[in-house]
Amino acid sequence: MRRSGTRFLDATLLAATIAAIPAAIWAAMLYAPTEQTMGAVQRIFYFHVPSAMVAYLSVAVLLTSSIVYLAKRDLKWDDLSLAATEVALVFCTLVLITGPIWARPAWGTWWTWEARLISTLVLEILLLAALLVRRYASNRDLGARLAAILGITIAADVYVVHKAVEWWRGMHPQVFKEGGKGSIQTEMQTALLICTVSITLLCVLLIRLRYRTARIETRTQTMILERAEEGD
Amino acid sequence: MNPPGFLTSSWLVARKDMLLEWRTLDTWSSSAIFAVVVLLVFQFAVAGGAAQQLTGADLVPGVLWLAIAFSSVVGIARSMDSERQGDTLSALFRSPVDRGAIYAGKLVANCIKLAALELVLVPLAIVFFNASLAGFAWLKLILVLALCSFGLCALGTLFGAIVSRVGRGEALLATLLLPSATPLLLAGVTATAAVFHGDELTTVTRWLGMALGFDLLYFFLALATFEFVLEE
Repeated sequence: MRRSGTRFLDATLLAATIAAIPAAIWAAMLYAPTEQTMGAVQRIFYFHVPSAMVAYLSVAVLLTSSIVYLAKRDLKWDDLSLAATEVALVFCTLVLITGPIWARPAWGTWWTWEARLISTLVLEILLLAALLVRRYASNRDLGARLAAILGITIAADVYVVHKAVEWWRGMHPQVFKEGGKGSIQTEMQTALLICTVSITLLCVLLIRLRYRTARIETRTQTMILERAEEGD
Repeated sequence: MNPPGFLTSSWLVARKDMLLEWRTLDTWSSSAIFAVVVLLVFQFAVAGGAAQQLTGADLVPGVLWLAIAFSSVVGIARSMDSERQGDTLSALFRSPVDRGAIYAGKLVANCIKLAALELVLVPLAIVFFNASLAGFAWLKLILVLALCSFGLCALGTLFGAIVSRVGRGEALLATLLLPSATPLLLAGVTATAAVFHGDELTTVTRWLGMALGFDLLYFFLALATFEFVLEE
């Protein structure tokens, strides 16, 4: 029953993502020049940075859908929250895996006390906890409400935690320093741009797919509940 | 009869909680014993080896805040648990009072309980780790403790209610509360260290400002969302 417009958009999104991912791998592995001091390991940056960006993008989606759910009480917004939480968790995990792999040769340590590291870890734990609360809740509406409250607090918290640890001590490379002295070469910038676009497409596609599955699950649940009431 | 106003009803909720606590000493005794155990374990951890050249002023801030953080989790979970056993939270929800007032009342009670805990914890930490505080430093310490503990209670009361709604205990509350409270714990440790090292509080104004901002942010966030937690 879906309108042909959405179907066309979905197909375009899928096709674009399928085309974009090989392009991203090409850009990161072949097109971008090898960094002089860090060597080949620096190439992980082309996936690490976009993953972090889309993790925050998913948290922004989560914040919006949580607020709208509490205002409107339409379960489709909760389905969107669920999709955004899970996708944010996936990309957050990618950031936490790729980060240390790069940090070990570059900083000489897997893990350190640093703003983005701690705030990403806090984000990961809170997203997991939100999924747990949702699962433990005895019914759908309760889970949706509690998850929406947590969605709002998570979004607020990630910002505050980041600021706090930044004051405490900062050593994460500032890639996008304002008025930067052109530390990133043009080709590297292009490669990063290609990767960012591809990973963003992948993120949107994943949220979209997860959202559709969640919609189907919700409809099935509602149908089962209605049947059970009719049977009584 | 008119329903009581916001302040009256929050006072009534707080008074009820305090009265229960006064008669049973339930929360206080469980969290105080737990806190003393935490202090004791840290004694083992730092007694030998590398930590030997650290003075009490170096150790107390971190140890004190860890003990406060862990025992506040135990205390808040305990106080919510007793509400859950009698299903009294839903009874409160059905009463004709502002839902925010229920939150405010529980928050006041939790703050007083945490203050009573700190009253024991601070002298014990000073004695165990051989630190000293002179004259006005006590007042500064009280200010720091109040600023940072309030936020811990503000967030803890909201999360405690969420956790009690899904029927899970301390583990889930700790998973939610401790990572979210990272900024407060950092501010608390930094400011307490300044007090024990005899520095002026003006050297940590930024941290105290951040703690205050955190307090206000989470107080209002929780005040606005608490009614969704209680909803049937």
